[in-house]
Amino acid sequence: MSDATASAPAVLTARGLAKTFPSGDRRIDVLRGVDLDVHAGESVSIRGESGSGKSTLLHLLAGLDTPDRGTLAWAGSPDTGASRRAAFLGIVFQSFYLIPELDGRENVLMARRMLGAVGAAEKARAQELLARVGLADRMTHLPSQLSGGERQRVAVARALMNAPQLLLADEPTGNLDERTGDAVIDLLLGLCAETRTALVLVTHNAAHAAKTQRALVLHDGLMR
Amino acid sequence: MPWYLYLALKQLFPTGRKFPFFTLISVLGVTLGVWLLVVVTSVMGGFGYEIRRMIVETEGEIQIKARGLIADSRETLTKIDAVPGVAGSTPYVGGVLMVQYQNKPAFPAMRGVDLATVEKVTRLDRFVRVGSLDALDDDSVILSAGLATTLGAYVGDTVEVYTPLMLERIKNNEVILPRGLRVVGLLEIGHQQLDSSTLYCTVRTAQDLYGLGEGVHGIDVRVKPGSNEDEIAARLNAVLPRDVRAYSWMDSFSDFLWVLALEKSMITIMLLVIVVVAAFSVMSSLLISVVRKTREIGLIGALGGQPRHVAACFCAQGLFIGVLGTILGLIAGFLTLAVRNDIVRGVARITQREEVLQRFYQFSQLPAHTAPGDIALIVSLTVAISLLAGLLPAWRAARLKPVEALRSE
Repeated sequence: MSDATASAPAVLTARGLAKTFPSGDRRIDVLRGVDLDVHAGESVSIRGESGSGKSTLLHLLAGLDTPDRGTLAWAGSPDTGASRRAAFLGIVFQSFYLIPELDGRENVLMARRMLGAVGAAEKARAQELLARVGLADRMTHLPSQLSGGERQRVAVARALMNAPQLLLADEPTGNLDERTGDAVIDLLLGLCAETRTALVLVTHNAAHAAKTQRALVLHDGLMR
Repeated sequence: MPWYLYLALKQLFPTGRKFPFFTLISVLGVTLGVWLLVVVTSVMGGFGYEIRRMIVETEGEIQIKARGLIADSRETLTKIDAVPGVAGSTPYVGGVLMVQYQNKPAFPAMRGVDLATVEKVTRLDRFVRVGSLDALDDDSVILSAGLATTLGAYVGDTVEVYTPLMLERIKNNEVILPRGLRVVGLLEIGHQQLDSSTLYCTVRTAQDLYGLGEGVHGIDVRVKPGSNEDEIAARLNAVLPRDVRAYSWMDSFSDFLWVLALEKSMITIMLLVIVVVAAFSVMSSLLISVVRKTREIGLIGALGGQPRHVAACFCAQGLFIGVLGTILGLIAGFLTLAVRNDIVRGVARITQREEVLQRFYQFSQLPAHTAPGDIALIVSLTVAISLLAGLLPAWRAARLKPVEALRSE
């Protein structure tokens, strides 16, 4: 972590996050007390084996699930509800999750629609973002008409549409070939650095993790 | 536009696609139900409306009848005309005659009208197709079109009239001679029963034929526009003798009108089942959509969508289908009503049953009257049922937790 990012305010603060899931008669402690601080403009990667709880942690950090124990704060506030989520953070998923009835630009604008009316300025920003991710000539295509890499780039543009303080990426290259995956990671890191958006990248890929400012490993329910 | 309404519209009408099959089928189901409801309630309403028009235009809104005869009709008419809300009154004599023309007999209903007052109450002049009501005098008659056809008589011919009074004279071994009356007009009301066999003459001729002296069988009353027939009938009964009673047209034909209303209600309820079936189809399709779009619902939650807004998105889809189906159903219904007589004539011509149709349904044209209340009921019920159809899928969608929805396969 550079001195500049270390002195920046904490965008994300997690303390002692724990999550248990039932499995038959037993309960599995997926997370056993995770602490994490992410600062503005910082990029953090989280690696771990399959089933280590990476996605569960990301869902907790996104406020999509509630921890059994521990606390979470976004920019110092414990409010991690749905209404704040739309403006505060963007999420990129492994499976893209684009809405099939909407074209690329409409998918990007969907994130803005969650906050209210969409005007000419918002449409221009969506077009600008799509141009930044290299889809200037593909923005009116439906997801079914786009390749996997193009879909993920639309998802990246959507995640950045509301200029979030925090971007969470859950194995964004998992469904892409190596070359396309590298391009998407470079794009994510570049855009986040440009906009000083904090990035938490969950990945299997050591090379991708190495590109972030801080590489963490989740093992046995604890962060190392 | 809120995102959930925008997304609901986009899911029904996706970008780049003309008209998705699911939307088409769902809208068509609702359209079909509304279409049939509009056509059937309008035609059923038309029967009632035509019967009212026929009664009111030929007998006025109120009919005054006596147990026997109204002997002092002039005095009674003076009392009636003095009642507030009464626009006019006219006496009549009614009965049955035997009419013969060139050895062709017929047994029409007779209606003796008072030429001095009949125009205040009825619109008989409007129905005279050949000749004129003004030409009617104590030595002439106007025949209904069907009766003229049966007899083969036309304007200018003289028909022979026999009355029940003549039976008494036959019993006394008297030689009876029919009364010769000149035909001065042909009349067509549009109701098969009245048009097939009715004879109009002056009230004096009818009194003479029936031997009534100055007596009449009843008095028809027209009320002033905007007046309530029942209220005025009650006012009339307050001033009339006990054996002379006033009945509004609805009282006079209450049994028939009740049967018509019952038929209309039953058919409306049965046709509403079509809308309910269509709503079940919409509900089923939306439930499948909820299952198919589980991950998208999870994504909406991840983007910051509230469960109530997710519910609103699916509810709105049911509503949009209902509203669109209702609009198309109304258009189809009114178009069908506009060409209903062409359709009926076409079917009758193909099956060569035009006369049977007229004889059976009484009216020469298929009547239709669309009551605004009926349309309001159809629209509100259809939209409400469609909205309800979206409720269960909406509830299912709202219950999905984003994190579980995103994990689903």
